[in-house]
Amino acid sequence: MILRTKNLSKRFGNRWAVDGLNLEVEKGQIFGFLGPNGAGKSTTIRILLSLIKPTTGEFSFFGKDFRKTGRNVYAKIGALVEKPDFYQFLTARRNLQMLAGLSGGVPDKRIDEVLEIVKLADRADDRVKSYSHGMKQRLGIAQSILNHPEIIILDEPTNGLDPEGIKEIRKLILRLAGDFGITVFLSSHLLHEIEQTCSHVAIIDNGKLVVQGEVHDLLRKNDFYITEVLVDDPQRAMSLLEKEIWIQKITSGDGVLKIKIPAESRPRLTQFLVENGFAVSSVIPRTSLEDYYLTLLNRDMK
Amino acid sequence: MTLLLKATWYEIIKIASKWRTYIGFITIAILIPVIMFLVRKYGFGVQDNALNSMKGSFVFVGSLVNGLIVSYFLMNVLWVHFPFFIVLVAGDVVSSEGAAGTFRIWLTRPISRFQVITAKFIATFVYTAAIVLFLGLLSVGLGMLIVGGGDLFVFDKGILILSQGEALYRFLIAYLLAVCVQMTVASLCFLFSSLTSNSVGPIIGTYATLVVMFILSMLKIDALKVIHPYLFTSYFDVFFAPFSDPIPWQEIAGDVGKLGIFILVFYLASAISFIRKEITT
Repeated sequence: MILRTKNLSKRFGNRWAVDGLNLEVEKGQIFGFLGPNGAGKSTTIRILLSLIKPTTGEFSFFGKDFRKTGRNVYAKIGALVEKPDFYQFLTARRNLQMLAGLSGGVPDKRIDEVLEIVKLADRADDRVKSYSHGMKQRLGIAQSILNHPEIIILDEPTNGLDPEGIKEIRKLILRLAGDFGITVFLSSHLLHEIEQTCSHVAIIDNGKLVVQGEVHDLLRKNDFYITEVLVDDPQRAMSLLEKEIWIQKITSGDGVLKIKIPAESRPRLTQFLVENGFAVSSVIPRTSLEDYYLTLLNRDMK
Repeated sequence: MTLLLKATWYEIIKIASKWRTYIGFITIAILIPVIMFLVRKYGFGVQDNALNSMKGSFVFVGSLVNGLIVSYFLMNVLWVHFPFFIVLVAGDVVSSEGAAGTFRIWLTRPISRFQVITAKFIATFVYTAAIVLFLGLLSVGLGMLIVGGGDLFVFDKGILILSQGEALYRFLIAYLLAVCVQMTVASLCFLFSSLTSNSVGPIIGTYATLVVMFILSMLKIDALKVIHPYLFTSYFDVFFAPFSDPIPWQEIAGDVGKLGIFILVFYLASAISFIRKEITT
């Protein structure tokens, strides 16, 4: 177990921002920490990084209680909390040199390596104030991996980025996990970001854990698979399929039929369409974490 | 220890990389030569008047006005004006990072908060010492160079004439004591800086405290004498003590000790505040 929280809570005034949170993150996971704005994600992350103190509860990294390991454990952890704020009047290299110095035992060549990884090597000697938001975000990720961490904690790393920037950061996160074997703890309020990036997810709302587990397991268990079908006559196909009792739900948009059926009924669907004379161009199963997420939160609200 | 040394060095780099750090140095570098050239050209009114009043009793051969006397008088800026250059930097050291959000990255490293605040405090001390000694070096050095050297003529319960060598030694002690005085101002500002997230508040707060303390120190009301020992401004004149004969070492040590206690208290209060601080920005 690389990270575990036990009944972690934080109260601001009369409001519990985090309320009895129990999380478990295993080595090698890309762990999504999902919840709407104000759910308590950033507060949890700030507690884990000792930026704020928990009101009650405890947490451990690498199986050891933080109260016993103290801050030394941060030598094996990288973090990026919200938007990365560097010393604007210093160059990216100087910023990284200082952070490397405080991380203990990071050689100079590692700075070049991380700048290369985030594709900022050619701008390394420019002052940070000349950087775009996306570049600062990449520099933020660079500083988080300076010390060869075993886990990186990223708090909304794509916030405020344009689609291209989001895509770059997403690719970078997947690369860090895939190529370097870093466990990633990724907080986001963006469902599709978690869906496209994470292997595991914990959903939090009003400071409380709603559910956690493997993304695919959670979706399969609750049957939130949608099958997208492209046929030559979608209108006729829709009217035919609506009459079938084994079809749970069907909608159409942009010529694509979106059909909710159990995964095991998918071959039957294909067979049905072919037998009724349709030219089937594609049958694509899609998960919808969004549906799942909204259902969970609505259920919780009830 | 290594982390503390590294952090201190980084704090010095940060201070040295900001434009505001050089405002004091530039002002001094412009002001001192201008004053010295003006004294050389138009004379030194204050000292001349003092000497004229004694011309009935003494015979003065040549001019007693020289660069050392001008430097001695320039030390008066250390009371109220000079602290501005100190608070300009000290007020920014902690608060600016809270406002800029850099603590979010800086404090997620293995270094402890106590080490971070200590590094910042040491860096503030380095800046304070550097600018005070810069003032001393420039005023004495340029004074001798532009106005000229010679004996130092000062009034201390009478007339005290110090040879040039002796005067330079006294200036060295005086400016080292001035570092201690200005460090008291810096540490108070540092404390305010650790309590807020903007650098204007600490600057105004420190200056307001200084003004109030000066008023309380200067009012010759018996009832106020009770609180004088608790006002650090009561010990500010310690940097003039080396120009007495003999040098009152015991008195100086006492004043420095008291200022040291103020510095220590301000530093510890800053450290406690910083360690407990919740980084929510």
